[in-house]
Amino acid sequence: MHPVDVSQIAKSFGSTQAVAEVSFEVRRGEIFGLLGPNGAGKTTTIRIMLDIFKPDHGRVFILGGSMTDEKKARIGYMPEERGLYQDVTLERCLLYLASLKDVPDNEARQRLAEYLERFDLAEHKNKKVKELSKGMQQKAQIITTLLHQPELVVIDEPFTSLDPLNVQLVKDLMRDLRQQGVTIIMSTHQMHQVEELCDRILLIDAGRDVLYGNLAEIRHCFSGHAVLVRALQELPSIPGVEQVVAHNGAVKLTLAEDTTPQEILCQLTAQEVILEKFEIAIPSLDEIFIRVVEEGRETA
Amino acid sequence: MKHLWQVAHYEYQRNVFKKSFILLLISVPVFITFSIGLGVFLESLEDNPLPVGYVDHAGVFASPLTTPEISSTWVAKNDESVAFIAYSSEDEAAAELNDGVIQVYYVLPADYSETRRVEQIYIEKPGENAERQFYDFMQINLLSSQPHEIAFRTAAGTDVTVRSLDGRRVIPSGGPTFGLLMPLFITMAFLFMILMSSGYTLSAVADEKENRTMEVLVTSISSTHLIAGKILGIVAIGLTLLFAWTLVIIIGILFARQLGVGWFTDLSMDWRAILATLAIAIPAYALTIALMTAIGAMVTTTQEGQSVSSIFFILHLAPLYISWSFINDPHSPLAVALSLCPFTALMTIGMRNLFTIVPTWQILVSMVVQIICALGAFWLAGRSLRLGMLRYGQRLTWRGLFGTPN
Repeated sequence: MHPVDVSQIAKSFGSTQAVAEVSFEVRRGEIFGLLGPNGAGKTTTIRIMLDIFKPDHGRVFILGGSMTDEKKARIGYMPEERGLYQDVTLERCLLYLASLKDVPDNEARQRLAEYLERFDLAEHKNKKVKELSKGMQQKAQIITTLLHQPELVVIDEPFTSLDPLNVQLVKDLMRDLRQQGVTIIMSTHQMHQVEELCDRILLIDAGRDVLYGNLAEIRHCFSGHAVLVRALQELPSIPGVEQVVAHNGAVKLTLAEDTTPQEILCQLTAQEVILEKFEIAIPSLDEIFIRVVEEGRETA
Repeated sequence: MKHLWQVAHYEYQRNVFKKSFILLLISVPVFITFSIGLGVFLESLEDNPLPVGYVDHAGVFASPLTTPEISSTWVAKNDESVAFIAYSSEDEAAAELNDGVIQVYYVLPADYSETRRVEQIYIEKPGENAERQFYDFMQINLLSSQPHEIAFRTAAGTDVTVRSLDGRRVIPSGGPTFGLLMPLFITMAFLFMILMSSGYTLSAVADEKENRTMEVLVTSISSTHLIAGKILGIVAIGLTLLFAWTLVIIIGILFARQLGVGWFTDLSMDWRAILATLAIAIPAYALTIALMTAIGAMVTTTQEGQSVSSIFFILHLAPLYISWSFINDPHSPLAVALSLCPFTALMTIGMRNLFTIVPTWQILVSMVVQIICALGAFWLAGRSLRLGMLRYGQRLTWRGLFGTPN
């Protein structure tokens, strides 16, 4: 059984349908991207998954069944609304939150020292949380999420407020966790981070799942029938090309249905075009996101 | 259960090491010590141990008489006893006064029996003990021809016993005893606990919303453990204060008894009234805590919660403003109604206990009403917490609270 198995959940608040029908599963040891525009229902989906809200219908299996108090200690959750006790020291705050996750005090102190060192926060451990910068608080929040060594991590916008160095640090940490077999669900708007980190994704729009599956396969599906070409001279007219569009310093050639990229390459070399770049045009996740969301809204 | 204790321990530690709490903790002992010290100091200024002289031209003190009984009343009043010295002439007395041997001397002229006038001569105003004791001394000696008991009774003065209008409470001449006032002290202590705990409860819940920690907490432990732990921690804070202050008060009483303060000699208690007060006070405390939890979960900031909670505290104190009606008629319909209402019951019954014996049925009905309200408030607290905990910066409305199920 997968660590997370969500089936046809729905949730309304009064007359607002926050989640209409969403189903997905998350496999052990993968980084799963939960994507969607603002107000799509991502946070509600996460809250239903973690038993903060009860769904109106549908079911959630988490770590092999329904949520229990015992399972809460096996899950690390970093919510969209960050929260730490502002009036206590960083160390006191993190140790208290770790104790609620059943981490023995000695172990918590040892792990905390390691994390504080890794996140460059060791010298700030005796400062009150409110005295820390936003970025430092963000790192502290990540430590809170991971200190009890959870087997499932749910993390909402993990890169907010972080500088490029710390973004890299968090990405490396997530990769390390994946290698250790930890399952990670990441909700974010930063598509390039998803492309770098995620194995599979779910795109939600207007409370419905509109795109779901392996990231590489999804991108391949959306690649269409086109090639990207950059040449030293202007491209000649090539049979089998239906459309020519400038694209990021290159040219995107949309091919006729019966034309293959191989045939185009042969024709270009035959006409002695000096090529700098020739590749199958695969859309970025940003492009896929925009296309799917816009198509969905047009249909609606 | 482990999580419950962890939350309680954290809540307790988070508050008891705050400067504001430490100041609160030491405020009452400091106030009591200051009050007692000031009282003893002022009293010491009023008394003067030097002897008192008299020149008796009227023959009132031909064979001067003092009795052990009258001396004992001076001790009971905590008066320092003074000696009386007879002088044959005013010059002799004046010389001793100038030399500081005596603090004052009195002259009884030969026609005293007609004029009833006594002259008092001093350089600095004599001690109050000297004046009081010379007055008693004169009364006893003026009545020396009467039987000893009559002389003493006259010198001892009036002895008024105050009875309540329904005749069910008797207040001795020296005013209500310590034991008689104990239910009122308990009422005031609980009111203080309610005020203090209300603030802590409110901020304990509202702070979680302000700090945005609620979502992390409810995905770590059950909301029941979270709230029960917080309440337990706050009750422990209240008990810490109560215990510390009670200890100081007990030490103060023992000290006062050592000093011979008469008010603390009779420590007999009215246990029925004490139990009745506790029977009302405990559910009243629980009701307030639960309501504050609900309000804390509904409001957006601690400050906003405090303005709402002050309404409930005004209700608690409202009976004070009509306390005169309890003296006139402690069984009036208004007194009974306020005794049965949540919020007003504690203060009303606390005060009525001074003037009457509150009927058992009223205590029981009031207790049951408060327990039912407290249970309802706990239900409300749980619901408002569940619905309001993730509404950051948004107030939970009554419609939202009772309308949409979650």
